[in-house]
Amino acid sequence: MTLNHTPLFKRHVKLGAKMADFAGWEMPIQYKSIVAEHKSVRERVGIFDVSHMGQIFVEGRQTIDFLSYVTTWDMNRQKDNDCRYCHILNHDGKIIDDVIVYTLSSEEYMIVPNASMIDTIFPWLLEHSSKFDVRIKDFSKDFFCLALQGPDAPRLLGQHLNTSVNPFTLVRNGDTIVSGTGYTGESGCEIIGPYSEAGFHWDSLVDMGAEPAGLGARDTLRLEKGFLLSGQDFDGTQTTLEAGYSWVVDWNHDFIGKKSLESQKPDSYPKLCGVILNDRGVLRPGFQIYHKGAPVSKLTSGSLSPSIRKGIGLAYLDLPLNSDITVEVRGNHLNGRVVRLPFL
Amino acid sequence: MSEVPEDLSYTKDHEWVLVEDDGNVKVGITDYAQDSLSDVVFVELPEVGDEFSKDDAMAVAESVKAASDIYAPISGKIVALNEKLEESPELVNESPYDFGWMVIMKPQGEITGLLDATSYRESID
Repeated sequence: MTLNHTPLFKRHVKLGAKMADFAGWEMPIQYKSIVAEHKSVRERVGIFDVSHMGQIFVEGRQTIDFLSYVTTWDMNRQKDNDCRYCHILNHDGKIIDDVIVYTLSSEEYMIVPNASMIDTIFPWLLEHSSKFDVRIKDFSKDFFCLALQGPDAPRLLGQHLNTSVNPFTLVRNGDTIVSGTGYTGESGCEIIGPYSEAGFHWDSLVDMGAEPAGLGARDTLRLEKGFLLSGQDFDGTQTTLEAGYSWVVDWNHDFIGKKSLESQKPDSYPKLCGVILNDRGVLRPGFQIYHKGAPVSKLTSGSLSPSIRKGIGLAYLDLPLNSDITVEVRGNHLNGRVVRLPFL
Repeated sequence: MSEVPEDLSYTKDHEWVLVEDDGNVKVGITDYAQDSLSDVVFVELPEVGDEFSKDDAMAVAESVKAASDIYAPISGKIVALNEKLEESPELVNESPYDFGWMVIMKPQGEITGLLDATSYRESID
């Protein structure tokens, strides 16, 4: 299978990036150093090519009703130019994907799903749209997306496009959408627009000092904040409540999966928690966790936090916060504990 | 281009070996290896007194993305560790042939099967 390339592929190669397959896309994992790129985003400003992510447009008279039905959020609560993070669930309340929904107008919305889920989400939306007066189009391969992230990002955005954007809102400039979103926990924005304009934005922002950062740093940045990684922290078998994301649910509207969520009694299921090592070591997805000597769960994510320099990970656990656990790393049991998210 | 000092011996698995004046050998990983790993964030070293046969996995270097085994380049006993790597694993990246050394081994039997700088350079070209 040939891998998809973003419009910035040649620039990544020229910068010496290590490229790897991510959801069928040949993407930059790192340029020089994941740790250095991570620190640039936390302390200054980094720029990510996330053009592999999807852009699905929904328009028509019943757009708000339709999107309220297929997501955990009631879109009647959104104003024009709002962005909303929420979940798309199956009928059992399990997370199919986490998405950001953009209100372009009351009759035109954009959904940004994860790259690996576009081919699942798009047919799912089509299948559930028959009773609604809406049109759904997938423009994922026509639009780039750049994430400009870090404390210096607002200043660079002002310098680059003479604009500013508040968190979880958007501004439109012709075909280009700038939104106060990202997935690093830092200030910043994402710029979405037609493929042909990706190079202009990238070159300008890199010239102004934004450090190119790869998906490796994006992973450690989101992990420190406890943000979910699609396909890893949820894989179609966990509900929004199990993931600890009840804040993305508006209970005052009807949506696919609602009945299943309502039937989950509080504290009757494992919830996604943070795991931090007291001992030195690096955590990896799949490592086994033990409590009082018995295996209890496996890590869904894991790494070494470049900010706090400790092994950190995520796992679905039915244990109180601060419980002592061990994690098996190459046959040794390293000591750690269960902590509240985020880590940072 | 990776640096390959002339005065060291090498393994095909990217360890370097320096035979010291007292006959013990200092071991680390090459510039090529640290560059491929990038961002070494944790080094798991053996303990002093541990014995290894040539090609046994004796240590692990972990980057943000992956863990890589480090193999014993010779048969022998561990007599010293670079304890600085516990606090500063990044020394492996910054100074692979000097401050980033990993262990000192007392060889058991003859030292054989290592590559010289020219052969190692060819193996990574």
